Amino acid sequence: MEIFNEVLVNGSSIQVWVALLAGVMAGMIFGALPGLSATMGVALLIPFTFDLSIMPALALLIGVYCAAVYGGSIPAILFRTPGTPASAATIFDGAVLAARGEAGKALSVAALSALVGGVIGTLLLIALTPQISRFALRFGPPEYFALATFGLSMIVAISESSVRKGLIVAVFGLLISTVGMDPLTGYPRFIYGQASLMEGMPFIPALIGLFAIAEVLSMGGLKSGNTASSESKIARFPSGSDVRRSTPTILKSSFLGTFVGATPGAGSDIAAFLAYSIARQQAGKGDKFGEGEVKGVAAPEAAKTAGTAGAMIPLLALGLPGDSVTAVLIGAFILHGVQPGPLLFQDHSGLAYSIFATVLFAHILVFIVAVSGVRILLRVNQIDRRFLQSGILILSLVGAFALRNNLADVWLALAFGVLGYALRRGGYPVAPLLLALILGPLAEENLRRALILSGGDYAIFIQRPITVVLLLAGIAALFYGLIRRRGAPA
Amino acid sequence: MNVRDKIAWCTVILLLCALVGQRLMRVDSSGTFPNRSVLLICPYSAGGGSDMLARGLARAAEPDLGQTITVNNVTGGGGAVGFVAGLLAPPDGHTVTMITIELVSLPLQGLVPFQPDEFAPILRLNMDPAALAVRADCPANTFEEFMEWSKRDSKLSVGNSGPGTVWHMAAARLAEAASLEFNHVPFGGASHAVTALVGGHIDAVTVSPGELRSQILAGQVKILGVMSEDRVSYSPDSPTFTELGYPLIFGTWRGLAVPRETPAEVRAKLAEVFSKAAYSTELAEFADAAGLNMALASGSDFALQIKNEKAQIASIMKKLGLIYEK
Repeated sequence: MEIFNEVLVNGSSIQVWVALLAGVMAGMIFGALPGLSATMGVALLIPFTFDLSIMPALALLIGVYCAAVYGGSIPAILFRTPGTPASAATIFDGAVLAARGEAGKALSVAALSALVGGVIGTLLLIALTPQISRFALRFGPPEYFALATFGLSMIVAISESSVRKGLIVAVFGLLISTVGMDPLTGYPRFIYGQASLMEGMPFIPALIGLFAIAEVLSMGGLKSGNTASSESKIARFPSGSDVRRSTPTILKSSFLGTFVGATPGAGSDIAAFLAYSIARQQAGKGDKFGEGEVKGVAAPEAAKTAGTAGAMIPLLALGLPGDSVTAVLIGAFILHGVQPGPLLFQDHSGLAYSIFATVLFAHILVFIVAVSGVRILLRVNQIDRRFLQSGILILSLVGAFALRNNLADVWLALAFGVLGYALRRGGYPVAPLLLALILGPLAEENLRRALILSGGDYAIFIQRPITVVLLLAGIAALFYGLIRRRGAPA
Repeated sequence: MNVRDKIAWCTVILLLCALVGQRLMRVDSSGTFPNRSVLLICPYSAGGGSDMLARGLARAAEPDLGQTITVNNVTGGGGAVGFVAGLLAPPDGHTVTMITIELVSLPLQGLVPFQPDEFAPILRLNMDPAALAVRADCPANTFEEFMEWSKRDSKLSVGNSGPGTVWHMAAARLAEAASLEFNHVPFGGASHAVTALVGGHIDAVTVSPGELRSQILAGQVKILGVMSEDRVSYSPDSPTFTELGYPLIFGTWRGLAVPRETPAEVRAKLAEVFSKAAYSTELAEFADAAGLNMALASGSDFALQIKNEKAQIASIMKKLGLIYEK
């Protein structure tokens, strides 16, 4: 009862709501601009919270976090340019919908899925934090390797027309992901004397190149005219059947996202890609993934927002960050005198539940802002494509630079642009490349870390239940995918 | 291609040229220092300890400097990209770089195009010692017991924040001093190592007490020894290694530096302004909240420390196989 009162008092403070709304608005912008990540948004707003009292300060930062993760999908759908790594998975179907003049539908489905994902994630956070955090702690190096392997087994499912081409691209992605300092010995690999590559192939410039720049390079990019000509046909909201069809996908992705987000070594981006791949793997008869399937938007959107709620679990329960954003959030919490960890629930349970409530309302506010913004956002379709595309190109290049204030990243983005264009011309799918880029380092690092722990004994992968389950699931998914493909030649 | 297409293409090409060209431009600087805003380069990403320190200090120093101080996170290469950017800037004091122990360790690996003495240190700000920590339910309660455990149980897995990082070297120094053998397990950052420790995947970690603070307060981990002169305030029962008979003082440090060619009077001005800010109660409170252990030292003392540590670090890195000879 006392806790409830404290939550109520915090919730009735106008300051908290203003801070939350401001955070959500700022977060959307940070998320939507490529190169300005959720991490940066939170970090840059921390100084603004110094003069606020604790709850408004946390509300502002949580608002930024939740909104930035959603905001990345806006340019992903409208311009094929992911604002954040997690939103890259939304492009595959979202951008196709937009190109067909159904951007409004894609944006609404994204917002709705994000809302459901966020709410389910937060409810799990409230109800099961101790249990989930204990489970998440059981994820050690072998488990992360198995998780990455399971994810990589989805390559067959997301390879579109040709498994062969999908595999070529995926192996190429794995190779690229070995660029940089060896994670276990520190020896630089394939960096050709470039210090900028020492920390590995920077992911956001790669995304910007593969999507935004490749789009401009492909001749359609600079054609004049705009996509708003068929205004009357634009569906602004999903049809009832779209919602009904996607509901199971949204629910599954939300649970998956929460758990993946809760493991301290994997964040929203991995959650989004896994959810998209699994949705594709389980595609039903009428589903047209890659050709504007609403489920293809719903799955990653639900998973990534659920992932943000999931990442709060180790943060609050253990005082351990689940991803780079929560690492920054922990610093901010500590600066405001809140020490996340088991003691938070013991000594300041009122505060802990106020934080839960803030997360919940942040997701609801994100939804409201997102849906009311759809109308305004669709206006961009009235701009001449050439001006729009050159604007996006400039913003993308600035974004590639802004991430690390490093000019080398701009050249990388341009190189990836040429690569993306070549892949598109040759009919090679981009999805396996991204999956490999995201999961490659996770797999490599943890395979070798696990072997250090076991003294080189591979038995470590069959001695631990979670590892065995994940590895078997990966093998099953691989064969299921191959058999299905044989059954239905496409 | 019609005229409008041509204009569009020209604009794109012009803007690309501008993007490339801006790197070649150098701002002309004349008059007394500081005559425009000062850039503080932080070679690590926003939100980390270095970044928080840089931003807190910039806030505290701005009024005295009379110019705005902008913190710019130039990251990559484990700090190398930021250090290079700081060295390439005009040596007029308008670009100050936050330097860390990686300034010494990176050149030793022979992979970066600079040497630590190309920087003139102006102020040391903070030092964080290494601490040996185990899970709270670990049978070893003292370093003595830890040594017995270590000898009995073949090789203990000790997590660190990455190959060649300061905490990796700390574990190696400890192993050497106490004649133990560790199975070094590198993670992508100290927090990942601490998570693996709490999850029971490794036996111990050597990271800074600040990175362990929330786990110590929650009773999840315990510190068996600290590589500093003084004990840690929030773990007062944990001895220092010096008390235990192993005179180990090792850890990371952060400070400010400018390129060597910077005029002496500009360096003096920077040192004066930043020391005043660093000694302010405002910053002390901020650092305390952020878990940063302030340890101020003058530029000359700082330069001497960097020089002395170089040989020490070189010998540890050599033992760890982290120095590549061409």
